[in-house]
Amino acid sequence: MDNRELWTILNMDLEKHDDFLAPLPGVYTELFLNRPGRPAGMDYFDQVVGDVHGARIHELYNLKLGGGKVFATFCVYVPDEIVLATGSASIGLCAGAQYTVPSGEKVLPRNTCPLVKSSMGFKLDRICPYFQVSDWVIGETTCDGKKKAWEILSEHIPTYVMELPQRKGERDNRFWEDEVREFARLVERETGVSLTAENLKSGVKKVNERRQALKRLAELRRHRPAPIHGLDVLLINQLAFFDDPERFAEKVNVLCDELEERVCQGIGVVSAEAPRILITGTPQPLPAWKIHALVEQAGGIVVGEETCTGERYYKDLTEEAATVEEMLQNIARRPMHVNCACFTPNHGRVEDITRMAKDLQADAVLEFNLQFCQTYGVESYFIGREMEERGIPYLHLETDFSEEDQGQLLTRIEALLEMIRS
Amino acid sequence: MRRAGLDLGSVNAKLVVLEGLEMIYRQALPSRFDSVKAGKLLLEDYLQAEGGKPEELVVTGYGRVSFPEGRVVTEITCQARGCHHYYPEAVYILDVGGQDAKVICKNAEGKVVRFVMNDKCAAGTGRFLDVILKGMDLSPQEVVQAQEAEPLTINSMCTVFAESEVISLLAKGNPKEEVVAGLFKSTAKRLARFVETLGQPQQLILSGGGAHYAQLARYLKEELKVEILIPPQPELTAALGAALLA
Repeated sequence: MDNRELWTILNMDLEKHDDFLAPLPGVYTELFLNRPGRPAGMDYFDQVVGDVHGARIHELYNLKLGGGKVFATFCVYVPDEIVLATGSASIGLCAGAQYTVPSGEKVLPRNTCPLVKSSMGFKLDRICPYFQVSDWVIGETTCDGKKKAWEILSEHIPTYVMELPQRKGERDNRFWEDEVREFARLVERETGVSLTAENLKSGVKKVNERRQALKRLAELRRHRPAPIHGLDVLLINQLAFFDDPERFAEKVNVLCDELEERVCQGIGVVSAEAPRILITGTPQPLPAWKIHALVEQAGGIVVGEETCTGERYYKDLTEEAATVEEMLQNIARRPMHVNCACFTPNHGRVEDITRMAKDLQADAVLEFNLQFCQTYGVESYFIGREMEERGIPYLHLETDFSEEDQGQLLTRIEALLEMIRS
Repeated sequence: MRRAGLDLGSVNAKLVVLEGLEMIYRQALPSRFDSVKAGKLLLEDYLQAEGGKPEELVVTGYGRVSFPEGRVVTEITCQARGCHHYYPEAVYILDVGGQDAKVICKNAEGKVVRFVMNDKCAAGTGRFLDVILKGMDLSPQEVVQAQEAEPLTINSMCTVFAESEVISLLAKGNPKEEVVAGLFKSTAKRLARFVETLGQPQQLILSGGGAHYAQLARYLKEELKVEILIPPQPELTAALGAALLA
């Protein structure tokens, strides 16, 4: 079956989908393929993007033909381990394109986070095959925009919402553990597969190995000169949500082998003097590449992301255990170490940023704030103050997924780089 | 050695040439949506007047990226350097330019320590004031009268909404000068809060074309309770800074 046949079966709007994908090859060639010095290990990821709505969709479709289910998620708190344990698939969804924002605005207020509007638009427009192939969307309550948007989305696809607590006390931990157990029951019921110590252990292992591969990649960016562009790593982080976890981890490790070799030989993609930027803030879901692209176009190098499409996604592993009960408990504990602005207070995030800035030898911190994201917007007050106290150059940028403000953003980013160089 | 700074702004292109620290040439031209062309014309005029090109050139401003000559430096760095030339002790700068407003903190060497710029919209920029003042078609006498007038309250900061608010205030029979005074006061209020996002200044350098509005400076002084420093030719400070960095 070719892609178009499959997309038709998945009830996609083929015409609109063609229109949406048309600029991708040009943009991708310019931003990624044309850059000199890219590691050979990027080939695999380029291929994934080259057929981003094809090969993997066939895999997921075939999984469904074999009785498996596809669960789609938007958040690093949702436990992939449980889904993978049952032999089903857990994937992220497209949510970072301006193209679908106007459709999202048909049902959502304009002053809603662009990520929420974009994802809603992908479903309403029927141009995301990942959405179309999914059996369930697993939402969570990380912000008011998402929390309410699930209610609308549930009119178009079965949607299950996990309630995330807003603090990290003992009571909250117990509450989240209950949520995780209830989610496990949903997955068991929907897939018809019961969780066993054996299959859950394998689920934990797969997800941990993906996290470890991404951690290994992240640590290689500590080196000066940086062995890989931040934009390439961002792409890998984004693809982590879509790809088969085992194959993905293997390919990331192959890339890391190559990067280790580069580090030994002192080879970098930029000079050792290039200003090193740590990004913090809101997620950059596929295909939101704007900030990284601008920083690196201006001569800087992004060395880390304290975001959900970065460090927060992979920094903590799920501890292994012997029984299903203990494993579920550990699965529930892992995300309680992740410092999202939806928690109050959230002092851990400032600590994460300062630790990363030091480890990665960052020259500046750039905070990326999606428009209308209140929780991160408010938190930038603390981040800015802490960076000032520590004498770390800091820039706060608020933007969306559109291209129109690239000039203004570039001016600000260039000024930040001039602050570092002067 | 002659050093030139070319500031390709959204409204005007400006050229400053220094011999040592002395400003020996300055000229401005409207950008008319093509600041690169305006910049080239400025350099040609200079060449004809002085018989030679400047030895060093730094280009800044919104059109900098497309200009074929010179080293590129952002207007933020240039603005700080230019203002520093006049006021080395002052820390805070509010630059009210054509299409953006920015607040910059500089250090004892005139280098940028922190800065913020307005978002996508035109609120609080020179363009905001220009659009509305032009629409009101003021006589020179009315402009003078406005300086003494009691300001009316204007709530909208969106250029489009503020314009309709101004229209309805005038339609209700309010005197033009009170509306104009209100416009400056409300803009100053917004800009004052913008400055305070970076801190509490003791002195504030006001630069950019917007610094020519005496009423804006007056209300800023009232709002922030600070001394307002306006450089000579405040619209040229970025170009001057560029020349100093050349």
